[in-house]
Amino acid sequence: MTIPLGHYLILAGVIFSIGLAGALTRKNAIIVLIAIELMFNAAILNLIAFWHYKQYAALTGQMFAVFAIGIAAAESAIGLALVIAIYRQSKTVDVDEIRSLKG
Amino acid sequence: MDYAFWIISGITVLGALLAVTLRNLVHCVLSLILFFLGIAAHYFLLRADFVGAVQILIYIGAVAVLILFAIMLTRNVTGADGPREVIGVKWWAGSVIAALTAFLLSFAVSGDKLAGTISPGDKAYVGVADIGRGFVGDWVVPFEVMAVLLTAALIGAVVIALEEIRHRR
Repeated sequence: MTIPLGHYLILAGVIFSIGLAGALTRKNAIIVLIAIELMFNAAILNLIAFWHYKQYAALTGQMFAVFAIGIAAAESAIGLALVIAIYRQSKTVDVDEIRSLKG
Repeated sequence: MDYAFWIISGITVLGALLAVTLRNLVHCVLSLILFFLGIAAHYFLLRADFVGAVQILIYIGAVAVLILFAIMLTRNVTGADGPREVIGVKWWAGSVIAALTAFLLSFAVSGDKLAGTISPGDKAYVGVADIGRGFVGDWVVPFEVMAVLLTAALIGAVVIALEEIRHRR
């Protein structure tokens, strides 16, 4: 494979930016969580790309990626539970309408 | 092998774009599954087989299904989002910030000596057996901490989602 490392980094940057755009522009809280998942995946893709190109014989990169995936799964479970709790409270998942904590 | 990178990258970016732009929430999750599959294919291409399998199992098997459940629990109408606006008022500001981030990230990694790094090929392959030994060897403490974290997250999610029923009694 003759793809240089920079291609993977740029791909991860593009995915991260797509996730950032989604998190900043969409109104549905679940889509915001999906966008955060996109950003998580871009970061983990970077971990694996750096492992492959720089530390190929070592175990550390893959281990770190697996732990990051586990933490991301815990985060999404808590996030979705919060969305469901907020929906029960205010009957909406629109992040522009959830303003009971707004000063 | 080069064309595989471009094909998988195209599928991945397409899935990511559709996941944040489609109006129907269920279609968003299906695009998200396409994106997760693309990322898993990238992991297989980078010879990280175990991480690719974990990606499919956890993200497609657990996270995507969890998001689908959340959509079905929080939506009062089935089908499309309806005539209501799904994009926030300040959509252009978010898009400009994201485009600027993409430009800066691309600028930061291009022109650097990182961009010229070539793949090492298949010289020293890290297999699933090595990772399994790592989990019970050098990485046993992070592994146990992860178990505690996941247990705490599980209990926390149940407590947060069950709040209404506890108040009703």
